[in-house]
Amino acid sequence: MLIKTGIPTNEDIKEIVPSKERRGKGPVAIIECFQEIPCNPCYTACKFGAIKEFENINQRPIIDFQLCTGCGQCLTKCPGLAIFIIDESYSDTEALVQIPYEFLPLPKEGIFVTGLNREGKPICRAKVVKVKQGKGENKTSVITLKVPIEYSMEVRFLNIEDYFSDNTIICRCEGITLGEIKNLIKEGYETIDEIKRISRVGMGPCQGRTCRHLLLQEIAKETGQNMKNMPMSTFRPPIKPINIGIIAGGEDDE
Amino acid sequence: MRIDEHPILSFKRVEKIKFVYNGKEYIGFKGDTIASALHAAGIKILGHHPETGRARGFYCAIGNCSSCLMTVNGEPNVRICIEELKEGMVVETQKGKGRLR
Amino acid sequence: MKTTEIAIIGGGPAGLSAAISGASSGAKVTLIDRNYSLGGQLKKQTHKFFGSQKQYASTRGFCIANILEDELKKYGDRVEILTNATVLGLYEDKVITIEQDKQYKKLKPEKIIVATGASEKFLAFPNNDLPGIYGAGAVQTLMNEYGVKPGNNVLMVGAGNIGLIVSYQLIQSGVNVKAIIDAAPQIGGYLVHASKIRRMGIPILTSYTIKYAHGKDAVEKATIWKIDENWEPIPNTEMDFDIDVICISVGLSPLADLLWQIGCKMEYIPELGGHEPIRDDNLETNISGIFIAGDVGGIEEASSAMVEGRLAGLCAAKSLGYYYGDYEERRKDLIDQLISLRSGPVGDKIRSGLRKVII
Repeated sequence: MLIKTGIPTNEDIKEIVPSKERRGKGPVAIIECFQEIPCNPCYTACKFGAIKEFENINQRPIIDFQLCTGCGQCLTKCPGLAIFIIDESYSDTEALVQIPYEFLPLPKEGIFVTGLNREGKPICRAKVVKVKQGKGENKTSVITLKVPIEYSMEVRFLNIEDYFSDNTIICRCEGITLGEIKNLIKEGYETIDEIKRISRVGMGPCQGRTCRHLLLQEIAKETGQNMKNMPMSTFRPPIKPINIGIIAGGEDDE
Repeated sequence: MRIDEHPILSFKRVEKIKFVYNGKEYIGFKGDTIASALHAAGIKILGHHPETGRARGFYCAIGNCSSCLMTVNGEPNVRICIEELKEGMVVETQKGKGRLR
Repeated sequence: MKTTEIAIIGGGPAGLSAAISGASSGAKVTLIDRNYSLGGQLKKQTHKFFGSQKQYASTRGFCIANILEDELKKYGDRVEILTNATVLGLYEDKVITIEQDKQYKKLKPEKIIVATGASEKFLAFPNNDLPGIYGAGAVQTLMNEYGVKPGNNVLMVGAGNIGLIVSYQLIQSGVNVKAIIDAAPQIGGYLVHASKIRRMGIPILTSYTIKYAHGKDAVEKATIWKIDENWEPIPNTEMDFDIDVICISVGLSPLADLLWQIGCKMEYIPELGGHEPIRDDNLETNISGIFIAGDVGGIEEASSAMVEGRLAGLCAAKSLGYYYGDYEERRKDLIDQLISLRSGPVGDKIRSGLRKVII
């Protein structure tokens, strides 16, 4: 129960969630404020009249999802950090979740983090697609996470550590992560050469000596193939990084 | 024990202040109290109760609980949690209830 | 002897607001604070305030302290500020004795507003006096005012607003919070504060109390156990936490020493945190010319303290003859703000307490 644990229950959430249809239409504010307390900055922040004027200051916010544009003004004003913006129109399989964040370091855009639920449990991997740093005295940053669509109403915080190992480096030279490799495999790239061409994995100065084996392992794991039967990458000279002048100079005898 | 980066606050540590605690030199910053400078240096035990001998640290940090009494520049019973740190201060663990000079 | 029209004791949210309100009404005010700078506990509040725009909602506490101080300075000569000045005594003839920079001073004001705030309560458990066991406010002061961490691993005792807020601030400062416990069966603070900590994975354990603090010269470990509905500990429910800090956040009690000294009529009102002075709607006590504002009159949020400060300043100035046409309107607006802040379910206790002290 919320009042004993601090964790809103499914019943609590059911009461405040917009319809699936509305969620699919575009960004919308989810106000997870379940207690009557004297507080109304969300109402004063809303420029679209979506959050109804309070009859008294202790009233819980009432939001008209049809008027809400998901602009996020209320999110950074809420002293309780209880407002999130979700956007299920992003794609058929993924949704965006905006989360207020007041910690350092801020995650970098593009990295994978661990999505946490309302209990702080890791539930999925999430990609940081945007980091909006808090301006002036407000200081509340907003992190936009891309999460599997079924977790849009679950992910409410993040751990910068990647429990799901997606930030694990596979290719040291090009800085390619396991998460990126997994994504490519999901998109249908299944051989080492295909992945190499699209991502530059293995094309750095070590020429694939460090990552080749790991990469093959991951492809095998993700696609269920046996490594014995899988094609290796193409090998070309020069076998080590050399000065281009050494080749351009030609052979001594000529 | 100093906080180096903070999402909301910024701590300006411009002016270093040297002081002596039980014969050893320490460094704090302008704006510190004696207690905050000692705590930053990892010193939590500020003395021992004159009768029970139990270790004492501060409890309130705002000058109410008087659990942080120390001898400062020879003056006993200074509440160090609200005493501004100054250059060259000599801070000593107090034995017993302190003696008037 | 130095004189002034209104002396305000305490420069926190209530006192600053009282000084602004008194000075803006035309009175000469003297604001006395024992700290080196004004703002009181506001200076340590890094979270955004609740309430409405009139109480600076959504602005962080330390920013509100700056706003109030700037506003006060607008009144120039009418305002005298004494910092590093501790009021030592308050006497029947309304003389205030003060120690400032090791000098003894006396001040004779016509009206006095006591806005001395509150102090942190303590909790009885074995080894509760070990170094490393601090009041939550002390930890807040150490971190947010001086930029020093209290330790590395913390057990927070108390899930009221202060316990929840300080836990969050500890994490912001890079300190681990192992758990927040509370003897009550329910979380006492705002649930939004609880939820934002809970979603970081930090357990909030209600119906748990501290059994024992371990350590020789400093705290090293804490044992907690569950309590039943009669607040009796249940054997074999013990849990240990390796910690170097225990934070005690079990409420505040009014710092009303000066009101006792001068002989204000006091009542014990547990809902408001301890002994509170009887007062009227205008925050004047049973001793004419002695007003109160903020936590000294009963523990509440800083938002209410600021409104009370405004009200006390306005009414003290009025009683000196500073009366303008909009007085009634301003007074009503402030009283309405207080009613509204206290009107919800979280204000139940405060309303019931206040009914017993407002005459």
